[in-house]
Amino acid sequence: MATATDRVVGFGLVAFSLVLFVYYTIWIIILPFIDSDHGIHQYFLPREYAVIIPVVAGLLLLLFIGIFVMIVMWKNRKPAKKLD
Amino acid sequence: MTKLGQWLWGLALLGSAWAALVLKPLGLWVPPPCHQILLPLPIYLLVAFGCYSLATIGYRLATFNDCEEAAAELQEHIGAARADLRRRGLQF
Repeated sequence: MATATDRVVGFGLVAFSLVLFVYYTIWIIILPFIDSDHGIHQYFLPREYAVIIPVVAGLLLLLFIGIFVMIVMWKNRKPAKKLD
Repeated sequence: MTKLGQWLWGLALLGSAWAALVLKPLGLWVPPPCHQILLPLPIYLLVAFGCYSLATIGYRLATFNDCEEAAAELQEHIGAARADLRRRGLQF
């Protein structure tokens, strides 16, 4: 059995991605078929944000990965050897 | 054809099908709700794939089988090996 922390984190990730998937699916695929005077539309942002938010999140992810690579490479730099 | 070639070919096909439906060349009519769904479709597929990846990672993390006795035994072996090598003069 995985440790308790592992299990909590693991199933938390599963639940989070499930919620995200369901919300995003309803936003993109289901809402266009529902009349605009239905109450469900108040729970969803305007449709442009359905594109802007993932793009910004993707750029932020790339930024953090780049910063991480930069930090690791900076720590591993060796001073140039002196030739005798 | 290489795998990369196959993937690029598939992407090009799907991309051109999507572009064809979105740009609406003469004579093609798509009902308005479907057109609204079609526009963000690539990003939707990307987000869906990301959610699937995250869920798979989380699930495998949660169901991974730790072997605690094997881990303890391994640490014991490591300690014994270290003591042995130190006895023979190797510096750590």
